[in-house]
Order: sequence, then C-alpha cells, then structure tokens
Amino acid sequence: MDIIVCIKWVPDTSEADVVVDKEGRDIKKDDLDYDINDWDRFAIEEAVQIKEKVGGKVTLVSVAPEDAEEMLREGLARGADEAYQLWDDSFEGSDGYAIASILAAFIKARPFNVVLTGTQADDDCAGQLGGMLAAMLGVPGATLVHKISIQDGKAEIIRELEGGLSENLEMDLPAVISVATGLNEPRFVSIRAVRKVAGMEIPVVDREGVGVEESKVGSRGSRTRIEKVFLPPEGEGAEIIQGSAEEAATRLAEILKEKGGIA
Amino acid sequence: MTLLEPANVALAGIPAPAIAFVILVSAVGFFVYVMYRRIDLLRKTLPDSRLSDIPQRIKLMLLYGFGQARQPRYPLAGILHILLFAGFMILSLRSLTLIGRGFFADFHLPFLTGSVGLAYEVLKDYTVLIVLAVCIVAIIRRAIFKPARYQHPEGSSHGAEAYVILGLVAGLMVTDMIFDGSALLGQTARHSVAAFPAANLSAVFMSGAGASTLNMLHVGGYWAHILIFFGLLNYLPISKHFHVITAIPNVFLANLNKGAIKPVQCGVSDWMELPECGLSRFERFTWKHVLDFYSCADCGRCSDNCPATTVGRALSPRMISVKSRDYAYKHYPVFGAPPNPGEEEFTGGVIKEEEIWACTTCGACEQECPIFIEYIDKIVDMRRYLVEQGRMPSSLQKPMQQIKKKGNAYAGAKNKRADWTKELQDCEVRILGQGESADLLFFVDSCGSFDPRIQEISRAFARILNRAGADFGILGPDETDSGNEIRRLGEEGLFEQVAQKNIEALQARQYKEIVAFDPHALNAMRNDYPVKFPVVHASELLARFVRDGKISLHDKYLHGRLVTYHDPCYLGRHNGIYNDPRYVLKQIPGIHFQDMERSFTRSFCCSGGGLLLWYENEEEKERMGERRVRMAEEIGAQVIVTACPFCLINLEDAVKTTGNEGKIEIIDLVELIDRCTGDGKDV
Amino acid sequence: MKNIFVLAEHRQQKLRDTTWDAIAAGRDLAGKLGADLTALLLGSNIDPLAEQVAKECSKVLAVDDPKLEQFNSDAFIKVLVALLKDRGPYVLLMGSSNSIIDLASGLSASLDAAYAPDCLGFEVQDGKLMALRQMYSYKVNALVSFQNADSVVATLRSGAFSFTPAGRAAGAIEKVPSPIASESLRKRFLKFVEAEKGDVDIASADIIVSLGRGIGDEPDMEMFQALADAMGGVLACSRPIVDKGLLPKYHQVGTSGVEVKPKVYMALGISGAFQHLGGIKGNPLLIAVNKDAKAPIFRVAQYGIVGNLLDVVPALQEKIKELKG
Repeated sequence: MDIIVCIKWVPDTSEADVVVDKEGRDIKKDDLDYDINDWDRFAIEEAVQIKEKVGGKVTLVSVAPEDAEEMLREGLARGADEAYQLWDDSFEGSDGYAIASILAAFIKARPFNVVLTGTQADDDCAGQLGGMLAAMLGVPGATLVHKISIQDGKAEIIRELEGGLSENLEMDLPAVISVATGLNEPRFVSIRAVRKVAGMEIPVVDREGVGVEESKVGSRGSRTRIEKVFLPPEGEGAEIIQGSAEEAATRLAEILKEKGGIA
Repeated sequence: MTLLEPANVALAGIPAPAIAFVILVSAVGFFVYVMYRRIDLLRKTLPDSRLSDIPQRIKLMLLYGFGQARQPRYPLAGILHILLFAGFMILSLRSLTLIGRGFFADFHLPFLTGSVGLAYEVLKDYTVLIVLAVCIVAIIRRAIFKPARYQHPEGSSHGAEAYVILGLVAGLMVTDMIFDGSALLGQTARHSVAAFPAANLSAVFMSGAGASTLNMLHVGGYWAHILIFFGLLNYLPISKHFHVITAIPNVFLANLNKGAIKPVQCGVSDWMELPECGLSRFERFTWKHVLDFYSCADCGRCSDNCPATTVGRALSPRMISVKSRDYAYKHYPVFGAPPNPGEEEFTGGVIKEEEIWACTTCGACEQECPIFIEYIDKIVDMRRYLVEQGRMPSSLQKPMQQIKKKGNAYAGAKNKRADWTKELQDCEVRILGQGESADLLFFVDSCGSFDPRIQEISRAFARILNRAGADFGILGPDETDSGNEIRRLGEEGLFEQVAQKNIEALQARQYKEIVAFDPHALNAMRNDYPVKFPVVHASELLARFVRDGKISLHDKYLHGRLVTYHDPCYLGRHNGIYNDPRYVLKQIPGIHFQDMERSFTRSFCCSGGGLLLWYENEEEKERMGERRVRMAEEIGAQVIVTACPFCLINLEDAVKTTGNEGKIEIIDLVELIDRCTGDGKDV
Repeated sequence: MKNIFVLAEHRQQKLRDTTWDAIAAGRDLAGKLGADLTALLLGSNIDPLAEQVAKECSKVLAVDDPKLEQFNSDAFIKVLVALLKDRGPYVLLMGSSNSIIDLASGLSASLDAAYAPDCLGFEVQDGKLMALRQMYSYKVNALVSFQNADSVVATLRSGAFSFTPAGRAAGAIEKVPSPIASESLRKRFLKFVEAEKGDVDIASADIIVSLGRGIGDEPDMEMFQALADAMGGVLACSRPIVDKGLLPKYHQVGTSGVEVKPKVYMALGISGAFQHLGGIKGNPLLIAVNKDAKAPIFRVAQYGIVGNLLDVVPALQEKIKELKG
C-alpha cells in the first residue's frame, strides 16, 4: 500500500493577534509561529496506522519553504518512511489551485494507492486541496472522513454530514481521502523521537524535479488573487436583546433563522 | 529430676549434633541460594548511584531503619511493629544460642555468660511474651478488624502470607516457651515468676507432667523451634516478608536527592544516544528500584495517603510494588525455567497506562513509606518510555506541544510574557536585559505570565516587592517555562531544552537571589536544573520581610474569619518549607488560624500543577481539590490560604463545585499579604 | 458573466436550506452582473423538488437519475461538467454543507473554473467579480478576485445571504437526460449512519447549545435537549456540568476538554472563563443567555439575553418550532 500524505506549513493564528501588513494584501507573518496544519496531523497518523495494519510505505509531501523541514522531520518521527519538500522560488504566491497542481504533478510521477490530506487548512480556510487533487489525478475523492478501512483495493469510509448524521461510502482505489480532525489520536512526538530520525534525508525538489510547467505555479498559475485583507469590525460586546422572555426569544429565534442557527 | 538436653539426645539413633549440622547446612545453603538468585536479578538491572554522603545514610539508617522513626505515623500498627522489630533484634541472639545448643548442651554466646547472660535471659523471657502478645493482637486485628489499607484492589492478595509469618513467629515463641518451661519444671531450683514470666507461664500448662513427657516436650520444643526458625528464614526471601532482611539496607540506600528526578540512566553522559529510553522492560529498573520491590511489606500506607487512590484513579502505589515483585518472582524464579518474557508487556501491561498517568508526583507515598521505597522516579521512568512511544494522554499533548513551540503551555506569544505588568498602577516592574542586575530576580513562570487568574498573584507580588523597597526585575521575553512538569511527565528532551534556555537567561544577568511564588518553578530550579541557582520561594522572602520589618501587616482583610493553610506538595514535601508560610500568616494581627488534620507532611494534593492542570482523568469519582475543600469544611475554615498558584486554581474550582462559593475563600499567601499590607485601593 | 447557476441541495427527498442561500446570493449577483439566474437540480424522482425550486427561480435545469439520489460527488461532478460544458462563462453558486464541501473544489477543477469557498458576499468593481471570504482561523476578511479562468465556482457561508420568498409564478423546468446513465461510479453510497445519542461528536458539530454552571443545581436537561434538537444541534457544556455528572466528559468544551469549531454557539448559563472560551475555535455566531448581566461571556458574544433560562429556553424552542413550520 503506497500512501502519500500532503501536509501544509501554516502560521498559527488561532491565539495570535493578527495584523494586516503594509501592502494590505496579507497579514504580517514575521511574529507568527508556524506549525503543521492541525488537520494534517490526523492525516499522517491515519496513514501510519493504515501502514501498521496492512503494510506499505508512507510518503510525506509538502509545498513549503525551507523552515518547514522540521514539520516533515516530525512527520518522519511519527512513523512516515520518507518525506519530500517541494520548493522553488517560482512557487511563491501560489494559491490553492496552483499548490494542488504542483502536488498533482509530483504524485502522478510515482505509485500511489491512497492520497491523504486534512480536509481544511487553518490559513486559507478553504478546504479545497483534496477535491482538486482528486480531479487532477482523475481519481475519486472524499472529504470530512472520520473512519477509513482499506480492503481488497477498496476503501470503505464514513464521512460526516450534519446533525449527527454520517454517510457510509465505498470508493475504488486509488483515491484521495481528506480526513476530519478527531478520526484518530495522533501520537505524541518527543524531542528524542525527532532526534532519532535526524539522519534521514528530506530531499528538496524544485519545479523541474516535480515536473510542473512554470505557467502552472506561483501567482501566474493561480486562479485567485487576494486584492485586499482587513480585520472584520470588532463588536462592542453583545447586543442585548431586550423585552420579556417571550419577546426576547422571538427575536432570538429570528436571528438564529437568519444566521443559519437552525439546521 | 534432671532433663536431658537436646544435644545429648540421639534421634532414631542419629546423634543430635549430626542432625543439627544437617539442618544448619541445608537451611543456610538453601537460604544462600535463594539470596543468590535474588541478588542475581539486581545485577541484571540498570546501575544506580547510592553510595554518596555515607554519614547522611548512616544517620537515616539509625533513625529510620533501627529507630523505626516513621512507624508511629500509624500509632497502633507502628507500636506493634516497633515491638516486633525490637523483639527480633533481641531474640536473634537467642536463636544463635539455640542453634549452638544442638551441638553443645551448655552452649552460650561468648559475651552472654555470667550475670550478663542471666540479665539477657530475663530480657529475652519478657520479650518472648511481648512478641507472642503482639502476634496475637496482629492476627486478631487482621482477621477481625480488617484495616481497609490491607485490602487489595485487584484480587492478587498476599494477605495469607501475613498469617503464615505471624503464625511462624508465634510458633517460635511458643516452642521457646515450651523449651524453657519444661526446663524450669525439670530443675530443682525454681526461677522467680518476675524474672522469667514466659517460662513460668508455659510451666503452668506443663505442671504435673511426668519426667518422660517433660523430656519429650523439652527436646521436641527445641527441634520444633529450630525447624520453625530456619523455615521462617527461608520463607522471608520468597514472600513479602523479605523486608525483614532488606529494609535496613533499603533505608541506607535511600534516595537523598529529594525533589529531584533521576537521570534517564545513571552514568550515561548523552542519554539521547541510548538505544532505549525509560522503562521499556522490567529489567530497566535500577537495582535499587528492584530492591524496593523486594522490601515492600505491603503495609498499604503509601496508598492510604495517595490522593489518586483516594479519589478512585487507577493508581495505587503499593500495587506498583506488589505487581512488580510478583513479576520479578515469576520471571526470575528461584527454581525452574521462567516463562517467556515476551508474552507479558511490563510498562502499559503489568502496570497499566492509566496507573502511570494518574500520579500527580505529590510525594505522599514516599513520605509515608517507613522504609523509603520510591515511586516517583519509577513512574517517571515508565512515562519516559510511553512518551517515546508517542503514548501520551491527548489532554496533555496539546499543552506540551505549545511549550515546544512557544515556551509556555498557554499558547502565549513570547513577546507578551511581561504583559501582565501593564495593569499595574504605581508599581514599576523592570525587565532585566542581558548583563543587567538587580538584587532580586522574580521568576514569574508561564502561569504567572499568561493565566489571567495567576497573573493577579504576579501583580500582587510585584506590589509587595515594591512596598518592601526591594530592587527587583524579571526576565520578560527571555523567560521560558520552568519545566517541572515536563520532566515529570517523561519528556526529558523538552525539559532539557527549556531548562537550558532559562539557565542561559539566568546566567546572563546579575542578582543575589531568584524568587518564585510557584513551588514547581522553585523545585525545578532548586533540584532539577544541572546548574544550581540561589532560589527562594515567595513565602521565605515574605517571612524575611516581616521579620525585618520591611512590611507591616494589618487586620483589615480577614475580619476574624477562620483561616487554614494548605501545604502545596512541591513547597512542603519536596522542599521542606512548612513553617515560613505559617509564620507569615501568624503575624497578621488577630488572625484566627487552625491547621487541617492533613497538614504538613501529610498534606493532601489538590491534583497537581503545571501541565497537570490540563490533564483529564476518566476514572476519578471526585476531584482531589473537592476532597481537600471538604477537609477544610470539616474544621469550619472560611479562608484556605495556599502558596501555589495551581493549588489556588484547583481549590477555587472545587469551592464552586462543592457548593461553597461565597462560603470559603481561596487565596494565595502572596495575595493575602498584598491585601494585608496595601491600602486596598489597588486590589 | 452571462449566467448565474445555483445548485439545489437535497437530502432524503427534501430540499435543504442551502438551496435558498444559493438562490438568495444568485439573485443578488444576477442583479449586480445583469446575468440570468438558473437553478440546477440533480436527483432521483425530483419532480416535486423541481416545482418547489421553480417557485423561486425562473429557470430550472433538472437531471433525473437514480444514481443522483445521494449527493455523490463522483456522479455530481460528471453530470455538472456535462451540463455546464457549453454554458460558460458563468458563476456557479452553492450553499455550504458537508455534502457540498465534498463536491465543490473537485467540481471547480473539473470545470476548469476558479474556486471561492465559504463566501460572505460579492462585489463587482469595474465589471470584475470579487468574493469576500475569511482566512487565518476566520480572523481576517479577504477580498478575492479571479484570473486564468472564464468561470467561477463559489460556495456561500450559511446565513450570509438572507432569502425572502419571491412568490412569483412557477419558472420553467427543463429536463436534461442524464449523461451518466450507463456509467459506473467509482464512489458508491452504502447507507446513512445515524449517530447514537450518546455518541455525539461536538468537535464536528455546526450548532452547539452549551450549558454552564448557571443552569442551576437541578436542571431540566430534557428542556435543553429539546432546544438543541429544535435547532438541529448538539448539547455541550463547561466543566462543572461534567463534574456534576450531568453530561459525559466528551461533551466538555474548553482548553482541557474538546475543541469545537461550530458555526453557531449558544451559551446558556456560561460565565465565559477563558479555559472554556479557549475551546471555541473559528468565529462562530456566539449567543449568550445568562441571568448575570455582568458575566464576561457578554463581552465576546454577538447577541445576549439577560434573563432566566427557565423562561427563555422553552419560549425559544417554541419559536424555533414555529419558524421551521
């Protein structure tokens, strides 16, 4: 079983104060700590668990600049067999589509049965990679998957719908499966575990090595362009709904209905 | 009538000395072989350095080994044990004498002749009676009153062994009494009851017996005594009563580094290069740890005091010893082939993961053990192994990752570490740059820097320092988590990283003393860091301030409420600071103070500090903090003062969940002193 | 852009609210761009649904095939690619749901279109379409333009576009034969799996009704469960509720409990301690009901009611039931 896991190196903005940079088209990232996208840790763990069950090889790949090496190394410490860092100056400014193009070109050139990704990344909050990869590789895809069992060249999965409902699906392999957080318990990676894999080589593959055309990468290969970023206006605390319990409840029900609070 | 002495009576035609010789040689031979097997296992385990500071070790051995100084912590059992122990010491001479009597009818130990010998005989006779009485009381206590701490939580009870041993000891006494009593009756000169009560007592039962019966009792009693004696001797190393032999050496070899955690492997300079880390297999215990297992008498005092056991977590410290000894005896048997060790996983199997993570490292078990058996180091070694395997409870992984990334578990940014000072009014806190100096360096730690509740203690402490006119500063962004819990949770690599960062930051500045209000920070710096710094706890400094008149306390805050003090584990048990906080409290004018029943060395852990604040336990029926608040409720306390920010958080939570909100106030000593010194405006 | 398409979503033979989100956004955008609005309906035995959609949209393209009964991304992508092949350039709008997440980005790549997920709104500047969406843990708004593609696929944040029934005459329904009638699918629906009541995964829930100490010592848990059911959400709580044994541990939100990323978070009797708030990620619509007007939760909530839960909760549940019809 050849399993390829696509992981992403993202700035941790969940607890940080976010500031828009001078050009106004992105946030200031110098002060932010980068880490593996949280969803992707679950993807690596799932890949390693599948390998432990059915055998095979786990390959990690990330389109990321140099300092992301520590993320890939930590992935090796989690039990992956090899890791590739795809980077080239021309990759700078790639949007989700261009990144998917780079990864698809890399993956196409090697054997694979399952491609695993996290469903969404915390930086662009787009949830687009899995579906795009599946389309580009010409294989079926599924997202928000919280259970995977691999058998006889097929994957049986359960994916979340809303309101406690899930759906049970069967997919032909190869396939791209994007996992939900919580489908497993990612193992802890100690400093020593990382030290143990310190000697493993993590090749940096450039654009030619990946085999992707220059017109497909960077802002040239992107289909979206961020024109402007800005912080949403900050609320001055809650708008207190006045009136009797009955009146307040009526108004709140309307707000809920309007804002998608009733499924 | 003169009785025949055993040495002169041939049995089945074999001369008695020949029989005595055969018994002596085979019993001692068997004993030596069993001991060889037991010691052989110690040689197969890891090294441990236990011969430092010999004078201190001799002191420990005299006080706690021979002196049994921890026994009276449980008054009845303690007194019984002290009597038994003293009896054993006295009667060992008697046993040697009796062994000699198998060879020579009038054998005496060289120094026990004449009047000394007579005095010893009298002492011995009293002792026999006392020991017999103790055995009877002990058997009754176990059989009828069944103290809860002797119950085994999981089946594998060794309770029967206690009866065997008590029976054998009682047998020794009875046979000795028969031997002496029959001699008494057989002799014309009668010894007084006052001098030989035991012999006279047994004589009462034998009076009227004919000469041949007396002879039989005398000789029979003798041989029964000899057989029971060697039976007992050989029973010890195959039962839980091995402690009779190992306890005193175990105390001599005790861990002297209180508060510290053992290195990953003794005598190894770079543990990172080792093929294995932590306790992956039983054989990776140190020899001293296995000696601990040999020495455990299964008295249950550790578990009786363990907060984890108390609230229903999977951990019971004595079961760690009992199960480990069972494992050792099974896999390293005296006779026969051991089972395949591959079938039984030790860490995570024999000792389950839930047990290993349930420990708060409060040290109550080690404080209580009469013979200094260690638990924390063993648990940490097992955690080290699990952590390397990636098997860490998920609730602990997140904060641990945060420390790895940001140097604190609160996901706070490094450059915001000093932001807690912003809300201070009229009180400047200097951030010491590299090369700068101050009299005092206030080590705030992550909790004091980022937890909004604990920041209040940081600010209170800064105000006090200010009022006392102290010249102080903080490390600010250069400070990193102290790492106390990181080490105790088994992530040694990360501990070394954070410790190194702090060491570098601390070495780059000049100061006379470091002060911390978090006992965990104090402990890490005082006991764990490879470089020693002059570090004191806030309570020690406050005591000094009060003594030197740097601050004066008023009574405008407490208003006569009943105050109690909760000893934090890492301040009290691990660092011996019990009196300074109480001294400071008692200087508050008009304070109404009372200690809880469990205080000082018996303080009850509130569920742990540092990263343990994040730890979620599935099994517990009640939170430790709730149990603690109820103890305060029992004495009617209205204010619980503590001197640890994590105790504060845990107890404040518990006050709410036990319905004591508004009835009991939890306050840190630092906050209390702030309120009892200031004008109240800046609180 | 000459065409705006909206995809109607349905499950178990019922239209889902995302359909109306999409129509609302589609109307708005059709107005801004001067384009035609067409609804796409893919399913099995869809006539009744098609009629419902046609009430709100002047044109409906409908494909009826048993293979389209479920929202199977493999089947849907194939059909939509065939359907939209010669109809560009266009903007295809879809609501946000877990079925649509499974479909949308792959569809955009198959259509060779640009993709904008989870949009809060649209702007047209100099004839150029731009989408407003959120990034960086939903903390930052971004205005995104499109390039290198003729058409755009976008999904919509639920609640961002308010729908009002138009009440117009029925639109035209055009039935298109299924282009996949003879194809076999690489992804096959087996069955729905209903989560057991005790098996709730709050981490992935979109709507959470969360209970704190302020619900009282002997709360009526059924009342709260009824509200959660009415909203289509799940019950969660803060630590004291777990400590009291009212809800199991895996319902606890917080830094020491479960991290949740809902769209709506209704905090009942929750004071708003940082340990609890730390477990709420993303940027949900936060509503607080608490009798203590000074509770810190009101500082971070968007809407609040200061009042007694025993009065507010049953009333709210009634109103929601009414609104759902």
